[in-house]
Amino acid sequence: MIKFEHVGLRYGVGPEVLTDIDFTLEPGSFHFLTGPSGSGKTSLMTLMYLGRKPTRGLVTMFGQNINQMERDKLATLRQRIGVVFQDFRLLNHLSAFDNVALPLRIAGRPEKEIKDNVDELLEWVGLGEHKNVLPLTMSGGQQQRVAIARAVIARPKLLLADEPTGNLDDEIGFRLMNLFDQLNRMGTTIVIATHNQKIMDEFGHSRLVLDSGTLKIEAPKNWIQKKIEGVF
Amino acid sequence: MNPFKPKKDRRLGVAEGKRQYDLPLNKSIGTGFLVVLIALMTFLAIMALGTSFALGSMTQRWSSGLENKATIEVPAEKNDSDLRTKNEVNALVERVEQKLSDQPYIKSVTALDQGDIQALIEPWLGQGEILDNIPLPGLLSVELQISNESSLAKLTKTLAEIDETIRLDTHESWLGDLLRLTGALQFAAGFVLLIIGFTTVAAVAGAIRTRMAVHNEEVELLHLMGAGDGYITRQLQRHALMIGLKGSLVGLIAGLIVLGLIALIAGDTGAALLPDFHIQLGHIIGMIIVPTLICIIASMAARFTVLRVLAQMP
Repeated sequence: MIKFEHVGLRYGVGPEVLTDIDFTLEPGSFHFLTGPSGSGKTSLMTLMYLGRKPTRGLVTMFGQNINQMERDKLATLRQRIGVVFQDFRLLNHLSAFDNVALPLRIAGRPEKEIKDNVDELLEWVGLGEHKNVLPLTMSGGQQQRVAIARAVIARPKLLLADEPTGNLDDEIGFRLMNLFDQLNRMGTTIVIATHNQKIMDEFGHSRLVLDSGTLKIEAPKNWIQKKIEGVF
Repeated sequence: MNPFKPKKDRRLGVAEGKRQYDLPLNKSIGTGFLVVLIALMTFLAIMALGTSFALGSMTQRWSSGLENKATIEVPAEKNDSDLRTKNEVNALVERVEQKLSDQPYIKSVTALDQGDIQALIEPWLGQGEILDNIPLPGLLSVELQISNESSLAKLTKTLAEIDETIRLDTHESWLGDLLRLTGALQFAAGFVLLIIGFTTVAAVAGAIRTRMAVHNEEVELLHLMGAGDGYITRQLQRHALMIGLKGSLVGLIAGLIVLGLIALIAGDTGAALLPDFHIQLGHIIGMIIVPTLICIIASMAARFTVLRVLAQMP
């Protein structure tokens, strides 16, 4: 699904914020991306959602080398990636409905299908009554749910979420994590950047730990425990 | 429709009606200014085109009116000191008319009577006895079968045989000057149209660049969500097209009203040299093409500008 080989990234002439990143994410896997502030999590996410090209190294997404890919093909590839941005990045002049519908419209889906799917998902995230509301008049939690609905509406093959539960209370946070789990079971590869230790412990998925621009992969700490619970 | 139900756009924080663009282009600052600018450009283009059409009509009228034609003048003076009497002038005019009527290279010859000649000089000397008392030349209007050097040479020779003082005016000299002048004015009008075209391209391209800079985050978001260049370009291109359409229609209507007023006021000038200002159907069709061209220019300028900006994104 995703393969990074000796990937480095620097902004302008500054120092490398990511150094020699090497990892492979299998299709249908679920990972937490964690690390201290300033460790390069957002930069790594940016490379994964094709917001930038690496300054060195090789990035392979969906079996294709993105360094040599044409613009049109890159756009098609991006449609297979859902992103929940840390700052939501909603379009404030569009209603919640139109924000969520955006990926489907970009993909050229028919309006009937868009309406049915968006209405259903907004109901599911508890915003059915707010579908015509503009983002700026919503609470932080509501905006985050719109951002998450927008990221998952087109059933992406890869879902990247940057601190998706940051503005949510525990109950809604866990509910959304369950949504991500469901998507993962349907075959979506998921990477969630988070500091939330509780959620990482509860959902025992492998961790990509970034520290000072370098990456190491850790197995979930309670993985064996969860397996035992699963057996008995 | 339920009159008691509040309108959607009256409720705070609720989206207004149907979405038009994914980018917030409707609320962009400067849209009104661009509409006004394009309206002014279209108005100027219509004026330039109207001028060009009027000059074209004038040139055509002069050229066609004087084609193969010449004027023969039987001077009022015999030589430097002696004047001809009216009867002498009339006798000479009659001789010229008779002689030329038989010539195969002459299509028609018409002698202007005293009244016609007096009418020609009346604007300068006024009416009254003075016109009866001053010596007037005799004038004949001649139409040649073909106006070429050979027939003009034959005509000159025939006139010299009758009387050496008779003068031939082929109009070529002053008509050539006038045609050069109208040609230069038409060229200037065309140049003005060209400048209007370039100005429109520059204005639209600048406005689109500004919009893309202002809405950079939104454009980048669409880009990251997988919107192809075509998807983003279409939105800004449509926006520019709508601005072009609104502006150019306003400019066209204003231009046609002003030209209509000019036609109404100036209409038939009655002066021999000035053009009669009439708007013909062909001219109106020509002017309707202007907004179409402005819209195409605005749309294409937007398209190429957006594509250039998008090319800088990964």
